This record gives sequence, C-alpha cells and structure tokens, in this order.
Amino acid sequence: MAKFLEYVPGDSFLHRMNPVAKVLCALLISIACFCTGNLIFLVAVLILDFVMAARCGMARQAAGLAKAVAIFSILLALIALLGTPRGPVLVTLPWGYIGIGSIVAAITVIMRLVACAIPLFLVMYVTQMNDLANSFCKIVHVLYKYAFTFTSAVHFIPVFMNDMSGIMEAQTARGVAFDGGMVKRIRLMVPLCVPLLISSVRKTNSAAIAAEVRGFNLRTCQSGYKDYPFTGLDVRAIVACVLLVAVAIVVNVLVPPLF
Amino acid sequence: MIEFRSVSASYDAETPVLHEVSFTIEDGDFVAFVGTNGAGKSTTMRLMNGLLEPTAGEVLLDGTPTTQLRTSQLAARVGFLFQNPDRQICCNTVRDELLFGFKAQGRADAQAEAKVDAIIERFGFDADAEPFLLNRGTRQLLALASIIVMETPVVVLDEPTTGLDFRECAKVMDVIAEMHAQGTTVVMVCHDMEVVGDYAKRVVAMTAGRVVADGLTFQVLRDPAALHAAHLLPPQVSQISMMLVERNAELADTAIAQANTVEAMLDAMQEQEEAVSHG
Repeated sequence: MAKFLEYVPGDSFLHRMNPVAKVLCALLISIACFCTGNLIFLVAVLILDFVMAARCGMARQAAGLAKAVAIFSILLALIALLGTPRGPVLVTLPWGYIGIGSIVAAITVIMRLVACAIPLFLVMYVTQMNDLANSFCKIVHVLYKYAFTFTSAVHFIPVFMNDMSGIMEAQTARGVAFDGGMVKRIRLMVPLCVPLLISSVRKTNSAAIAAEVRGFNLRTCQSGYKDYPFTGLDVRAIVACVLLVAVAIVVNVLVPPLF
Repeated sequence: MIEFRSVSASYDAETPVLHEVSFTIEDGDFVAFVGTNGAGKSTTMRLMNGLLEPTAGEVLLDGTPTTQLRTSQLAARVGFLFQNPDRQICCNTVRDELLFGFKAQGRADAQAEAKVDAIIERFGFDADAEPFLLNRGTRQLLALASIIVMETPVVVLDEPTTGLDFRECAKVMDVIAEMHAQGTTVVMVCHDMEVVGDYAKRVVAMTAGRVVADGLTFQVLRDPAALHAAHLLPPQVSQISMMLVERNAELADTAIAQANTVEAMLDAMQEQEEAVSHG
C-alpha cells in the first residue's frame, strides 16, 4: 500500500499523461469547483474524481483522502453554517440564524474542498517527483532550484511523518501513552517536535550538501535527457477540463441557488 | 520470561514480516538476534514490548500477553534502546532526559532523582549539557543510560553499536555486560559478529521472517547450515576454532571448539597444551 504522497506505479491514462498537463488539469478541476456552488455539479466532479482514482487503482486512497479533507474542512463548514443565514429558519442566533440554506452552504464547502483536493493529490501519487520537477523546468522554464525545492518539500513529508512515528514509538517504549483525547495527545506531542526539528534540520542540511557536491547549481533547463512532449491524450484532457470550467460557469449563471 | 508462540506479524496487513516464530527467553538470558537486513529482527524486538501487535500467535511477557498490558506496564518491564538515539532523546538537558522515563510512568520522585544522579556520576555526563550537541557515541550512551536508569528486568537493544567507533562500542557493550551480570535479561539485535561472539550467551539467527537457528553462541556461530541460511560470517575466533577442529578432530570435544572470545581461545589452548604435556 502506498504511503502518504508516495508514487504509485501504474499504466493508467493519468500515469501516461504529461506531468505539466496533469497539474494543469488538476488546477482546472479545482477552478471549476470554485466557479459554482451547485451541489449537483460538485457531486458530479466528485464522481469524476473517484472514477479517475479507480482507473489508477487508488480508489481506497482517494476515499481515505476524501475523509481526511472532509474532517479538516469541518471548521470552514462550521463558519459557513454560522455565518450564512439563508433559507427557512431552523435556529435563531444572536447575529442571525441557521437556515436550510446555511446547511447547504456548509455541505457545499466540504464537497468543494474534497472535490478539488482529490485531483491535486492524485497528481502526486501518479507522478514521479523527478518527472514533475524536470517537466516544469523543460516546458514551463521554471528554475530548477524552485522545482527542486517544491519536490524536496513534498518528498520530505512522508520522511518526516515516518520520523515522527519513530519518535512517538521511542517515547511509547519509555512509557508515554499517546492514547486518550486530542488535547492530551497534542500536549504529549509538543515536546517531540524538538527531536523532529533536529532531525529535519540535519536531513535538510545533508541533502543540501549532497546536492551541492553533485553540481546542483550547474543544472539548467536543458540538463535532463528525458523529454516531456504533449500527446493527444494531454490535449484531450486539457480541453475536457477547460469545458468543465465552462460548464461550471454556465451552471453558476443559469441555475439559481436552491436557497 | 518472554515467550513467542507461533507469532506472525505484518506492518500493513498485506505483507507478512514474521512467519510463525516461536522461542522463549528465560530471565537472565543474553540473547543476540542476527541475520540480514529485512530478516525480521527489529520486528521481533518491537513485538517484545508491545510496539507492534502480532497478527497471529501470542507474545507473552511473564505469562501475560503483551496485548493485555498497558504502555506504562510494558515500559516498566521492558526497556527498549532504539538504533537511532535521536529518536529517543527529546529533552533539553541530560538530567531531564534521564528523568523523562520516570515522568512518563508517573514515578518521578526523590528516589528517581537519586537514581538519575547516580547514573550521571557513573557515566560521567554533564547533567546540564544539551543532549543534541553531544557526539553520536555519547548520545547513544545517554539513550542507553536513560534505559538503564529505569532498572527494567528486560532490556531490548536494537543495534546498540551501529555507528560507534571501537572505543564507544566497547564502552556501550561493557555497560550492557555489567547489566547482564547484575541479572538483567538482555535481548539484542546486532550485525557485528565479533560483538555477538564476545558478549551473547545465546544466538537466534533469522532470515525472511523465520528463525533458522537458535542455540548457544558457539553452537550457532559454528553451524555451517545456520550461517549459510542467515548469510552470516562468523567471528574470526570462531573461524580459527573451526579450522583447528577441521585439522584435528580430537579438538572437537575440547574448550577450543567452544571458544567465542580471544581470551577463551587462549585459555583453551593453554589447557590443551598442558593436557598434552601431562599426558
């Protein structure tokens, strides 16, 4: 099973797409999600997300991700619920009220975030970080040091997660019980940030030195052997995503909100 | 006593790492687990203090399954030294680091303070030093000291000498040998066969998640089948001993055939010489 943001090998259409096209498509899908608050449209995008994930053999990971994003977006949903007085009144508040429209707004926030997060994460799972960095250098002419910084940051996320897990395990072996409520867990985890920070600085420093001694600064856009040509698949995918944005705008204009 | 009963384990519920492993470690034993990387040694260690739960079988600590013991109960009985001391060290001073285990287990009283003071003196630590600024060997010693100070009846050491120079390695191992002499059960993962030969009383060789040999150190380190299965190179003393026995079959029943250390080999050879001269 793939770890968080770890490349999953495969031969799906997403795997075969150009990395730049993948990122562009993911961004277009996200834009489409933010162009409309129509729940049916967002559900359709969500279904599309899961179909793509299933095609990559990552339906389970996508479901896990959807759950995680939904939990993280609860705070935003709560703000929408309490700060969007719409529709028939259900509960009166000192500053307004919670109506059926407020509930729809809260659900929309969650749906929107989940629908736009899945494609962005899928891109990470179906693209090698080196390909992502190199394609952006070759096609978009992004400076390699910026592309490398991004890919290194992404690469280090699972490394640091693994480190944190190891540190927690070491403290568990010394009798620290990490079970219990969220507040207790956070209180116990705060001191562990010290070894994590130390190990992060050491790893980053080592990685920087290793890159320097291998001629990191000599690299240009033309340094890579591999080319990343756009194929018909990439063009069709981008066109489809542009159409999705157009549909989102049309839906937003033509279909009035329910509440 | 630690008992493994047909234990299987996996990290992701898909790929088994251990396959029906069974053995018993008696109180006061000094056992070294050897084998290649990925053989399942560290997994076995993690099962011993409940950091990992078996997918099948049982791990019993003094007759109680580890799954039925709470974290603090396990930590009070089994001390665990990790390969990387930086994962264990988390306090701002050496003194705080040594006290951390007591605090975690709710035992930070005057007695604990006295134990910490004693161990600081014994190891010659600077009590107010910043642990992360110490060198690698001293950090490893500090991590070991923070386990020793808890006085657990069992200590599990996952590659305690990795990354240490000879002097630091000898210092760490001498402390471990002293603990064992005082009655502590020591379970250790080690890739250095010289260290295994010098200190361990019993060796468990593993490969691909299975135990391929389990016996007294001199037996396992001279067992060609076990050495081959676990991809091990015996220590030089064992190799010399095997060569001597190969050349002279009469030595097979003497102490020479059982010597693990240079000192033991010299003593055995002296005995042999004396026996020859007298007889």
